[in-house]
Amino acid sequence: MTATIIFILAGTLAATVPLLLAAMGELVAEKSGMLNLGVEGMMAVGAAAGFVTVALTGSHALGLLIGGLAALLLSGVFAILSIFFMANQVAAGLAIGILGLGVSAGIGKNYEGTTVAPMPKLPFGSLGELPIIGPALFSHDVMVYLAIAAAFVVWFVLQRTKLGLIIRAVGESPQSAHSLGYPVALIRTACILFGGAMAGIGGAYLSTAYTPLWADGMVAGRGWIVVALVVFGTWIVPRVTLGAYLFGAISLLELSIQGLGLNVPSQLLSASPYIVTIIVLVVISRNPALIQLNSPMSLGQTYRPKG
Amino acid sequence: MKLLTKTMKNLAVAAVATAMIASAASAADKLKIGFIYPSPVGDVGWAYQLDEGRKKIEAMFGDQVETVVVENVPEGPDAARIMNQMASTGAGMIMIGSFGYMNDGLKLAAQKPDINFIHASGYKTAKNFGTFLTRNYESAYAAGMAAGYASKSNTLGVVAAYAIPEVVGIINAFTLGAQKTNPDTTVKVVWLNSWFNPSKAQESAKSLIAQSADVIFSLYQDTPSVVSVAEAEGVYVVNTSSDMKKYAPTKLLASMTIDWGPHFIKQVKADLDGTFEGTSYWGGMADGAVGLSSLNDDLTAEQKGDIQSVMDDIAAGSFHPYDGPITGQDGSEKIAAGETIEDGALLGIDWLVAGVETKLPN
Repeated sequence: MTATIIFILAGTLAATVPLLLAAMGELVAEKSGMLNLGVEGMMAVGAAAGFVTVALTGSHALGLLIGGLAALLLSGVFAILSIFFMANQVAAGLAIGILGLGVSAGIGKNYEGTTVAPMPKLPFGSLGELPIIGPALFSHDVMVYLAIAAAFVVWFVLQRTKLGLIIRAVGESPQSAHSLGYPVALIRTACILFGGAMAGIGGAYLSTAYTPLWADGMVAGRGWIVVALVVFGTWIVPRVTLGAYLFGAISLLELSIQGLGLNVPSQLLSASPYIVTIIVLVVISRNPALIQLNSPMSLGQTYRPKG
Repeated sequence: MKLLTKTMKNLAVAAVATAMIASAASAADKLKIGFIYPSPVGDVGWAYQLDEGRKKIEAMFGDQVETVVVENVPEGPDAARIMNQMASTGAGMIMIGSFGYMNDGLKLAAQKPDINFIHASGYKTAKNFGTFLTRNYESAYAAGMAAGYASKSNTLGVVAAYAIPEVVGIINAFTLGAQKTNPDTTVKVVWLNSWFNPSKAQESAKSLIAQSADVIFSLYQDTPSVVSVAEAEGVYVVNTSSDMKKYAPTKLLASMTIDWGPHFIKQVKADLDGTFEGTSYWGGMADGAVGLSSLNDDLTAEQKGDIQSVMDDIAAGSFHPYDGPITGQDGSEKIAAGETIEDGALLGIDWLVAGVETKLPN
């Protein structure tokens, strides 16, 4: 039983890293009014590029960096399409998502089914030997903690800094922000690129640390979960974070329950992470005024500067 | 969405395939054989094993044949299109490597009586459309014996995709084999309910290890996800399809392997001789289609000898993994002493044996 509790606690922290990183990126992009549905493809490109980098160099830091850069480039395509050519954001996002899956298959072609060494664990010394808490909380690589730090930084920047205010203003009313002299297109592009880089780092973590292998399609829908988390978390950083950890925890709990041999249909268990996460986020976010307040008003709308 | 993605990706695949097939069409009077795989070939796994069979054809027949491969083809319209392209550009024989290609293949076989088809893991046949399967439950029984010897906790864990009859039949045989060498063995199963999700497979393996399973069975996982996590966690692992020793050099207990070579060669020879008939082939240990490889040296010579002698008995037909008496999970007698299971019943098996703790999803 203790082993199962440790498995769920420790596993949740690691399983959530790709979701949380990508969700923070997507949240920032959406806060600026840009709905990028290509997260799945960006994560896949990051995963493939990151994996190949680690396979060639052995450096996990470099893998995360290259993974982030590769997805950033892909999100740049989305920025060009949706901001400069004013393409429909939904269509452009889906297009780069599909493009990303194809590109990732191409990048990883010669590495199909191969493995790399996982990212090394941080040395915590005697902390790691504490009962339960040690293996659950202090047996991880650095990204597990950096992901939490990233969520905090995103929250802080959006809520407590002038930059965050500008991003939110651009997302609420690009026309007003433009009138005040803010470069709407530039800010939105930067937010999209940030979203791309974070999705790429999340993908690279998946393929080089969490499941250190490359297989075409290994992102397996996580990008879509990220998009859903941001929306159901009503663009509020702590709620999206909670949703990500909840999703991670339930998807592991589900596997443990199956092993116990309880008489619950496994299809229902497999669906449970989605069902529970959505229900919880919908229930805590059921205040319509709060949703109104937090959802970026211009989300998904093409902005054409006037005058 | 997944479907849309796959479709878009495969428009590209189809375009490339057309070009490849067209460029190869000039070479006349060789038998051209098309191969369609549902996943990328990679280093291990289902498509890899099929491709090994293709290589054996090339090695055997040399200049008499020419092979064309299209990999990562999803079941459905894309598969149908690629089959049609192969047929219209001179293929004399087509190997379709996934269950879901069956109906499209049969339709095309009816239209093109001069092309012979061989289809993986189906149940329908026609004059020019044969199907092939392997008796993986035979090697699962032998692998189960090894697992029974190796387990100290008497708990084995299985990571499986879906509860289809073939998978259920393998889990039963694995459990029966383990109980032969260790009667107290219990087996826990995690159903992924997904054909492809390496991260979830790895999580499942970890959850089983946390529940004291000390031998993990990676059942139809095409990637080494489960195998490498077992090595990292220090528990033994058994896997299907390909030898995965290199992913778990110390902890791989055994790999259940498949060899399509002999069957493929026989079928190509029949095609060349004009004697091809659409048959339903179910290859087992008797014809070398399934076996065990890389048995771990932590097993004693005596244990290895026991496993080998049971495999010899299976190959000789004097022993069947489903020889009764066999008790079902619900405690009822499924197969009486002195009896064994019919092939037809095994192909549609929908019950688990006693000792498996997880219920079948229904």
